[in-house]
Amino acid sequence: MMWKMKRLLVFSLLIFLLFSFFLLKLNFAQEVMEEEQNKITQAEENAEKIVPSPKDIKESIGIYVFVVWMWIAIIVLIYILRLKIKEVDRLFYIRFFSAKKK
Amino acid sequence: MKLKYSLFTRRQFLNGLFGGWLGALMVSFLYPVIKFVFPPTREPDQVILPFLDFKDMKPNSVKVFSWGSKPGFVKKNKNGSYWAFVAVCTHLDCNVTYIPEQRKFFCACHDGWYDENGTNIGGPPPRPLRRLILIIEGEDLIIKREGVK
Amino acid sequence: MNLLGKKKRAQSWFDERFGISGIVKFLREKKIPQHKHSLWYYTGSAIMLFFVIQVITGFMLVFYYNPTLAEANKSVGRIMTEIPMGWIIRSIHSWSSSFMIAFVFIHLLSIWITKAYRKPRELTWMSGVFLLCVTLAFGFTGYLLPWDDLSLSATKVGTDIPRSIPIVGVWVTKLLRGGEDVTGDTLTRFFGFHVCILPVFIFILLAVHVYLIQKQGMSLPLAVESKKEKIQELPFWPNFVYRESVVWLILLGILFTVAIFLPPSLDKSADLMAPAPEGIRPEWYFLFLFQALKIFPAKILFINGDTFIVILILVEFLLFFFLPFLDNKPAEMKGKFITFLAYVTIVYAVVMTVWSLL
Ligand code: FES
Repeated sequence: MMWKMKRLLVFSLLIFLLFSFFLLKLNFAQEVMEEEQNKITQAEENAEKIVPSPKDIKESIGIYVFVVWMWIAIIVLIYILRLKIKEVDRLFYIRFFSAKKK
Repeated sequence: MKLKYSLFTRRQFLNGLFGGWLGALMVSFLYPVIKFVFPPTREPDQVILPFLDFKDMKPNSVKVFSWGSKPGFVKKNKNGSYWAFVAVCTHLDCNVTYIPEQRKFFCACHDGWYDENGTNIGGPPPRPLRRLILIIEGEDLIIKREGVK
Repeated sequence: MNLLGKKKRAQSWFDERFGISGIVKFLREKKIPQHKHSLWYYTGSAIMLFFVIQVITGFMLVFYYNPTLAEANKSVGRIMTEIPMGWIIRSIHSWSSSFMIAFVFIHLLSIWITKAYRKPRELTWMSGVFLLCVTLAFGFTGYLLPWDDLSLSATKVGTDIPRSIPIVGVWVTKLLRGGEDVTGDTLTRFFGFHVCILPVFIFILLAVHVYLIQKQGMSLPLAVESKKEKIQELPFWPNFVYRESVVWLILLGILFTVAIFLPPSLDKSADLMAPAPEGIRPEWYFLFLFQALKIFPAKILFINGDTFIVILILVEFLLFFFLPFLDNKPAEMKGKFITFLAYVTIVYAVVMTVWSLL
């Protein structure tokens, strides 16, 4: 029980660490956007700045479809992997491979 | 029909399923990669040039213009009419030159010859030079791909 | 049936010459201990995943990138606007570098805290420290390549830091910049570092690092090792690899999602004569250093503040590099203190990073 809690803690810390980097970048991106808005009123200097985005509606729909499909595939793959993990673990615990060898 | 024995073991079935999904995922990753590596290089539908530049050409001579990333020739014929070619050899993509004295196009890469109409007459080139449609409209010289309105 | 037999024959033909089965056998016999700190064993392969993504997207970007003063910024712009999927590829390259470095830090700290560098793994740790340097150098050189205001200023600051090292410093700066100042030559040089020199180093170091890990097996944390009970173990292949694949898939999903929805932008081409823009900032993994430089006073004890801090960093680095030798009695007071230092480092880095963002 105790160490499960700890594992949970470590997990969440890891995820937090990971996401804190996004937050850093996110925060930064927002700042840049705000800066840009300020500057547009000042001068057209920043007209050259390229903020990438999907070119047209077709591309953005394509991207959404891709992301959804990717996550579905990942979830299915993880599900199958879990089954496979169970199988290989069982084989290992009944000493399937080592028995064959000797 | 009901089979007495299953053709696949559970393991094979799982492996197949896993491989299939993984393959599908990889293909969807591969698609943008291929799109990126092979960008569409579209030929221009048409180029518009000022006619002034070509007005004073001597008959039986050519002038180069850029047709996308390839050279093109505007050729003034003996009777004063204008033609346009893509100045690229149909054999292996070398740029050709025009030799006014012989009234022939010549490709130096493998000694290919075309006559003044662009028809292949000697050497390895398999096809005549590609003609482009040329229209003179007032000040402008409009050069179009065939089949473009 | 016939087909299966043919497949078997082909396999054995190949095996006879290549010896795959030997490798598989080795990997089957390689055991991964299962205990409450096992999670850290996954960080190495996560780094590997991002490294592979970096290599692939890097190959792709180099098809269109032009490392010259006039064209660098333009060509990146072209990648982002004209080339199909270009902005996504660049975004993945940029995000994946951040992820890779984040995991390098996590990997390193986990090894520090669990003391996995104990005898006989000193060389593994040292090759790892070199790998850290190369990875950071990748990040630093790559940051200049888009050649916008931000990257130019960051590079100016970054290449000027070694100047404070007594005697050799000036030459290091010159070597990095290809002259007195940051110019187009610096760009070409950094490109060379980024795509030729550093890759060679990283592959060699990686080979050494991974070889050492295979040779010595997985290390056990001190706390687990001292318990003397039998620890559960799982074979690396396939049990552990399947578990790793789960982690890979999740990370891949997160990476692509973030890369698609938060692509990095590109400023206009840097002007070598223009004053530094406001709010210049290096990549997040250099922020703690950046902030330290910012807050240090100009003079400490009759020496230049910069010189002081650079020497401090060098000394720290050397201590860090020889950590396995310093930490020769891990179970005693000294060892505990060194573990405590790891936490201090984390707190220091986080505080400095947050501070510089305020
Ligand atoms: S390319 Fe012109 S003759 Fe071969």
